[in-house]
Amino acid sequence: MSVLRPFRATDLFKFNNINLDIWTETYGINFYLNYLARWPDLCCAQEAPNGRVMGYILGKAEGQNTEWHGHITALTVAPEYRRLGLARKMIDLLELVSDKTYRGYFVDLYVRCTNVVATGMYERLGYSVYRRVREYYGSLGMGRAAKDEEDAFDMRKPLSRDPGRRSVRANGREFIVSAHDVP
Amino acid sequence: MSATFDRQIRPIYDAIDTGSNKSAIVACNKLLKKQPKNDLVKALKALALVRSQKVEESLYLCDEVLASKPSDEATLSALSHVLRGLGRHLDIITMYDSAWKQQPSNEDLGAQTFSANARTGNWKSAQQVATKMHKLFKEERYLYWSIFCAVLQANDQTTQPALRPVLYKLAHRLISSAQTPSFFSADRFYVHLTILKELELWDDATALLSSEIGQSICNTNLTIDELRREIWRAKGDVKEEGERAQQRIREKDDRNWLEFLSVLDATFSDVTSTAEPSDEDKQACRHHVSKTKEFLAQIADKDGTQDRSGPLALLELEKRCVAHGLATDPDAIYTLAESYFERFGDKACCFEDLVPYIQFSGQHATRWTSLLEKQTSVANPEALRRAINALKLLRYNLTQELLTPELENARATQYVQYYLQGLAHGKNLPDTELQPSDDLAVLAGHAYTNLWKLTGDLSYLHRAVAILELASSKSKHSYVVRIMLIRIYHILGAPSLALEHYRLLNVKQVQTDTLSYLILSRASTFSLSSLGDLTYSSECMEASQIYLSNSTDTAEFVVRAFYAEKYSQIPDFVTLEDRLDNSLQRDLMKMEHVRMRLAHEPISSDLVDMELIELKFIFDRIHHDNRDFTVIPNHQPRDVPSFQEQTALFGKIPGSGWLASFLRFYIKAFQQASDLDDSVEDKLLIGDRPKPHVESAGNMSLDDRLAQRPKAELEELTRDEQALLEFSTALSEWLGPHHDYIRPPPSAVLAEAARQTELKLGHQPKGLTLPENGANGDVKKDCDPPVVQDPPEIALQFFDDMKERFTTALSGSVLLPELLHIVTLTQEASLIFTVETTRFKPAAVVKTHKLGPLVQSFKEIRTKASEALELMSTELAKLAKAEKDADRRTEFVGHWTKFEDSEITTEFLAGVAKKFTDARYQILDGVSKGAAKVSKTLTS
Repeated sequence: MSVLRPFRATDLFKFNNINLDIWTETYGINFYLNYLARWPDLCCAQEAPNGRVMGYILGKAEGQNTEWHGHITALTVAPEYRRLGLARKMIDLLELVSDKTYRGYFVDLYVRCTNVVATGMYERLGYSVYRRVREYYGSLGMGRAAKDEEDAFDMRKPLSRDPGRRSVRANGREFIVSAHDVP
Repeated sequence: MSATFDRQIRPIYDAIDTGSNKSAIVACNKLLKKQPKNDLVKALKALALVRSQKVEESLYLCDEVLASKPSDEATLSALSHVLRGLGRHLDIITMYDSAWKQQPSNEDLGAQTFSANARTGNWKSAQQVATKMHKLFKEERYLYWSIFCAVLQANDQTTQPALRPVLYKLAHRLISSAQTPSFFSADRFYVHLTILKELELWDDATALLSSEIGQSICNTNLTIDELRREIWRAKGDVKEEGERAQQRIREKDDRNWLEFLSVLDATFSDVTSTAEPSDEDKQACRHHVSKTKEFLAQIADKDGTQDRSGPLALLELEKRCVAHGLATDPDAIYTLAESYFERFGDKACCFEDLVPYIQFSGQHATRWTSLLEKQTSVANPEALRRAINALKLLRYNLTQELLTPELENARATQYVQYYLQGLAHGKNLPDTELQPSDDLAVLAGHAYTNLWKLTGDLSYLHRAVAILELASSKSKHSYVVRIMLIRIYHILGAPSLALEHYRLLNVKQVQTDTLSYLILSRASTFSLSSLGDLTYSSECMEASQIYLSNSTDTAEFVVRAFYAEKYSQIPDFVTLEDRLDNSLQRDLMKMEHVRMRLAHEPISSDLVDMELIELKFIFDRIHHDNRDFTVIPNHQPRDVPSFQEQTALFGKIPGSGWLASFLRFYIKAFQQASDLDDSVEDKLLIGDRPKPHVESAGNMSLDDRLAQRPKAELEELTRDEQALLEFSTALSEWLGPHHDYIRPPPSAVLAEAARQTELKLGHQPKGLTLPENGANGDVKKDCDPPVVQDPPEIALQFFDDMKERFTTALSGSVLLPELLHIVTLTQEASLIFTVETTRFKPAAVVKTHKLGPLVQSFKEIRTKASEALELMSTELAKLAKAEKDADRRTEFVGHWTKFEDSEITTEFLAGVAKKFTDARYQILDGVSKGAAKVSKTLTS
């Protein structure tokens, strides 16, 4: 049970239990306000009945012509609320809004190549690797598999406006671009 | 702009952009030689000046350009940056306003005027500007700007309540005049619905929301849907909303908990809608309950372990039945809770889900306990999670008779054992992951803390430290474990370790507002600023950055939201800005910073004047407490104070009462020491003053407000802090008349300020005219000098009392921070004494005003202060030395003999013990030396 509701500027006072987790970055106020001042309907949060924020998603709409799409910028769930399907619900909403309100062709996201759990989850939700982006992330300093760790998979899922599935490709893992070539 | 000029000016922009303000100034001067009247160059020079902290020069130049009423965009833009740097937002409005008046057809100038108003929250003028823009440029967007500004003005704190409906009616009239319907965009729709809701025009609101396009907006926009729910609730259509929610749950598989709440609210509406429900109402409600139960059971069956909403809604339903006296089956809640645990016991949040429903008694309590006690396996990760939930649930329900030291000790041992076993499941995890058994160490930490509270035996806290340090080394990123350590290290008097853990939390940006209290609350107790150690001062400065970026950035996004027409976000942005600007933590931290500054810097008029002005601003604020206390875990039994309460330093959390009390006596002391009175301050102050609040203290004068001592506020102070407050109050009452008599008159102070500025600038500053009589500060007073009084008893007695307090505390069993608290407050009192008496230091002053006897009595107090501090310093030094004793560490290790073959090795424990005793040594030694130093300066 969780309340799905808009992410609001005042959530910055409430998201510590999520953002103190190592995988979630805390940005300057500008970052959040920029998203909210432009794509508030692509930003939402899940809240437990006792008022604690469980997780949130921040997204945007971008691209030209057939590249016009919804993008998942940040998706995070606090450790104690994982394995409850919260991420799926937030992604569903972002896809719905990208499709119906923004009329995008697809939704995409970036994920570290080493993050097998996340990649698997996105695949189950209908996303596939479109390309591999070299050195997209900073190193986590974990040593092992450093290359994989810095590379990102750009994963996509076509929306109803792309019935021919032109925005995805089958062998995306082998399609490598440099970080400079992506927006 | 000519091409040549463009070529000349470009490098100036570049220099400013890259922060090379010096070279920008040089370049400006060069250009000004050729074109001495060029406004743009002057404005750019003013900008470079203000950015290199040369405020007076910048001010002069800026005013000069402003006076010429510039209207070209480049100059206006440069000047608006200068004015923002000077905090003169109101002048930006005036500037754009006058530029727009010169070129009324310039749409951009209109928009800039609007933005300047919106940035400062000047909604009334912003609304007028937007209306004018709509008339002139016919864009519908401007109409919406003006509508929403009326709404914002209505909601503004400074607006009289009676004006609210008038403004909403105005907004309604304006929106009715729009050419295109509001559902053209979701955010215009939001504006429309907000107005209808406020004016309770339910029919209009329903018509809009029930239209096809209205429904489709609600389906894809959570903000609008939220507003829709509020409207439905406000107009009382609970049942209709319940049916709609059931439909969504059934047909669209919507599992938003809000829908379930709507179903439940509708189910009970027969009995909740009247104050005294009749028997028929109750009967109708029973009927509803059984229907809903059936519906929810179906959902629960269908979802299985996929979703918790169905089973939890059933629990909530039963709970409400009991509350309304409609329950039929006394076992219902119990049975549901049991099956919930069976189904979701392996989810980390199971404990949190069940907490509201498990206040069992009698037979249910026994069954519940025995069910949970069976969950002892930690053989696999799933069983481990189940066991953790069971232990948390058991602990939550523990009654007083089960909380004996023996039983609690056995529990702590059990938690530790399970924790150690559970580590096996996380062996191969990368460093970035959390150990699945972390929560068991957290439980152990709770049990040991509670044991300390039960017995007063500090060794339990040492055990808590050891197990939590182990957990922290296994789960490097567990913030919960670190926060517990921060709390415990503080009460144990090892602040440097608390700070170390805090820094590893990587708290940044807005989090510094909500979390810096973890280390900065009463930080002056641990600060060694008297020795020149600025660790805590710089931590304060760093944590304050967020307030600066808030004041420069947030308002900008309010403007951007207007341009992007995302009206729904604006009220929240305004709230965010206000909550940060008037954050309680910001000013608690400021107060601590002032206290540390006093110990570190020589007490000069610069320090006193500057802090006086700032503290006075703070005193008028209405504060918001943004501190996030929910991050501090709590797994203490429900009848026991929470972990946060148990570990609160001195048992008192400083809040707005603490702040107000400290501000009162500090402002008073600084006022007396300073030469600035209000009239002088008004003339010298640059920048806007804060907006007055409607509800702030009415017509009472500042002096009267400073003299207040509300009881509720004083209760937030420790007894020693109260003693400090009384000491300081007595001092200011005693010395006030002399200060007032000797303080140079305002005209003399202004003349001196003008002279200083002139020296810097080479010409007379504007606005500050020298008084004609060329005052030299020796203006004859027309009243008699005040009679010298004997020092008040409180002032004479204070340092002896503190010495006594310290000696008693030393022989009793108090926590180390309590000793430090007594010492640092004694030190602070002697510094306040210095603030209050500096004016009477020069021999000439003493002679002119015949203050011999007064100054003589200062000596007596100073000697007492110095003696007290010296004694405290000596004793602390002895304690420090004892921390180096090897026995301390052996004792630390000795508690863990029964876990000999585990990860809790002797080596690990010795390491923790060493760091711990070193940290204690460091603070004891530092505070001791600091007190000695202050004591010396008193007598020198």
